Amino acid sequence: MNRARRRKDFFRTAGTWASAGLSVLVLISVFVFVFSRGISTFSFDMLTDNYWATNYLLDIENGEANDFVPPAATDEEKYFSRKFGFSLVDDIDKENNRLMVVESMSALSPLHEGIIATAGSDQGKTHPVPLGARVRRIDYTNINGEARSAGILGQDSSAAKTIERLEIEAVSINGLFYQTTGGGIRGSIISTLMLIGLTLLFALPLGVSSAIYLHEIAPRNRLTSWIRAAVEMLAGVPSIIFGLMGVSMLFRITSLFGINTQSILLGSMTMTIMLLPLIMRQTEEALIVVPASLRMASLSLGASTTQTIFRVILPNALPGILSATLLSISRIIGESAALIFTMGTAISDNPKISQGATSLAVHIWTVMAGEQPNFELATAISLLILVMVLILNLTVKLLTYRINRKWQV
Amino acid sequence: MITDKRQKNKLASCHRRKLWQDKVIKRIFQGSAILAALMILFIYFFVISRGIQPFLPSYDGDQQNVLSFLTGNRWRPDMNPPIYGVGFIVINTILTSLGAAIISFPISVLTALYIAKVAPPKLRAVLTTIVELLAAIPSIVYGVYAAGTITGLVDDFAGLFGISTYGGNSALAVILLLAIMIFPTITSLAVVSIRAVDRNLELGSIALGASRMETNFKVVLTSAKSGIFAGLALGLGRAFGEATAVSMVAGNRMIGPTLNPFDITRTLTTTILTGMHETSPGLDYDMRFSVGIVLLLVILVTNLSIQYVKRKVGGITNE
Repeated sequence: MNRARRRKDFFRTAGTWASAGLSVLVLISVFVFVFSRGISTFSFDMLTDNYWATNYLLDIENGEANDFVPPAATDEEKYFSRKFGFSLVDDIDKENNRLMVVESMSALSPLHEGIIATAGSDQGKTHPVPLGARVRRIDYTNINGEARSAGILGQDSSAAKTIERLEIEAVSINGLFYQTTGGGIRGSIISTLMLIGLTLLFALPLGVSSAIYLHEIAPRNRLTSWIRAAVEMLAGVPSIIFGLMGVSMLFRITSLFGINTQSILLGSMTMTIMLLPLIMRQTEEALIVVPASLRMASLSLGASTTQTIFRVILPNALPGILSATLLSISRIIGESAALIFTMGTAISDNPKISQGATSLAVHIWTVMAGEQPNFELATAISLLILVMVLILNLTVKLLTYRINRKWQV
Repeated sequence: MITDKRQKNKLASCHRRKLWQDKVIKRIFQGSAILAALMILFIYFFVISRGIQPFLPSYDGDQQNVLSFLTGNRWRPDMNPPIYGVGFIVINTILTSLGAAIISFPISVLTALYIAKVAPPKLRAVLTTIVELLAAIPSIVYGVYAAGTITGLVDDFAGLFGISTYGGNSALAVILLLAIMIFPTITSLAVVSIRAVDRNLELGSIALGASRMETNFKVVLTSAKSGIFAGLALGLGRAFGEATAVSMVAGNRMIGPTLNPFDITRTLTTTILTGMHETSPGLDYDMRFSVGIVLLLVILVTNLSIQYVKRKVGGITNE
């Protein structure tokens, strides 16, 4: 080989190495980005909190000053009110607003006896102030019997000043205004789980039985090849078209059940159709590796086709169906375009099957599409989605590897 | 004697029941397969039947003109009366997708060659997994990634030329994002078709004195050509249909085709998606279906070209 050819060869090899390296770099950069940006916002509180902050205006009866003993270990950051038996700490929320949070309460603190003062069905009910409540305002009576306010809405910028004012001036506290922590994704997690459950409930029976028909029962004729071609075409349809189909066609079906809005049910029916090609392909691949001798043995022992399918083929294809399920879950978690149409973009803290809600992916879309994109929350949810999708896909890879090895031995 | 007869009867009825059961089960399974196959027809039927509504005289609302819809270069639902022209959006969609394919295609093919022929076995497994993982990352995550990094890069890059962008939202950002997103599609198909190349062809080439790399480039890639181009067409289809991620970096220009890569753009999918949360049933809603039809047409043409290329594959790689 002369030098020119050798040099050319070197560049070609280097080209393939560089391209492969580039793809690794892209994956790493996606990971580094999502992890580094998402991990700072990600917390377990985020998973359990509601998205919408609720306001509570409470009346407090019997709020006279008393003498409480501060808890033994109070550090500098916590400010304890000896008169009313609770302590506050300073905090900053995700939008960088200052706030004060109830850190601890003595057992007899008047804060345990709040009564909801806002008009509504809950008015007059007892509502103890929970730990972690974001106190905005505390109404109190001073020594002259005048009503006064402390807290962020009463011109106190910090927990220290609020407590100091109460300790000096207040004779009794009469009311309290607080907000629950918002910005969480509890509702979206629940609706994602509902969506996954419902979709699998519809899609698995339909997909698996279709795959069994195509692989075990169907004669080799034109109808069968048409069915195969149609399902293959379905796999090439972009998800946003599934969304359009959902609101124009499946909407009529959900209307029959009296659901006239976008709903989780509509979303799951749309996802069902979307996942059919995936489930059918995965199941069929599992059926292909089941040796033909098993079927023949079953049939020759006098079992009917039905018995062979349910007792021999299905149990052996179970790992394949399992990997189809896991891949479906991963697709449902990641899907956004179709769900924006069928489930809507309104974040719901109490998702119901018959109402619109957001899955985790659509939650990202909603917080990013608003006037002020909440990038921190978006990356934190992305982190959650990415980790789940990766775990699911790697599990499927492991599963496939084990199935193939099982039948090779 | 009697018990014998009874047993025979029992057996016969059992057999009959089995046959009957078989028939029912077969019908049920066949029914579900046919239902699955019908879905594609339903999709076309329902999207098209709703999408053509605004152009029919019976439409209760402002009837739209098909010609000005298809050739229009303005999309102004906010004007009164609203103007819906999809022509420039089609051009934008094709430009961004082609741009992504031009960037992604060579890198994908070389990576596929590396995975199939060059890499040591352990690296091969790792890279295959990496390509699969890239394919599995949901588009919304790519969207967040693009909005967080690619737009910044584009903005800095534009700054070198003294051009200011809309915070990096631009046609170039869309192209880079799509290039990343279609990379795994093209690569995995290319790997399959490279692996399918007849080993004897390679051995023949090496026996004739070509080096391994020369064989890879001149014999293997040429033989796998049709499969690789099928992958390209599939990748293009994905690029056309990608919605959420693209809409996060596209901008949403309302006039004319975007020819400047640093300017904001608008694609068919972003047009369908944008403003979804503030629209209510009416003309604006129905027009999204009309855009959907155009998108389906663009993809149908791509699919037909896939079929065309696939038919050409047959000869070499499938033997």
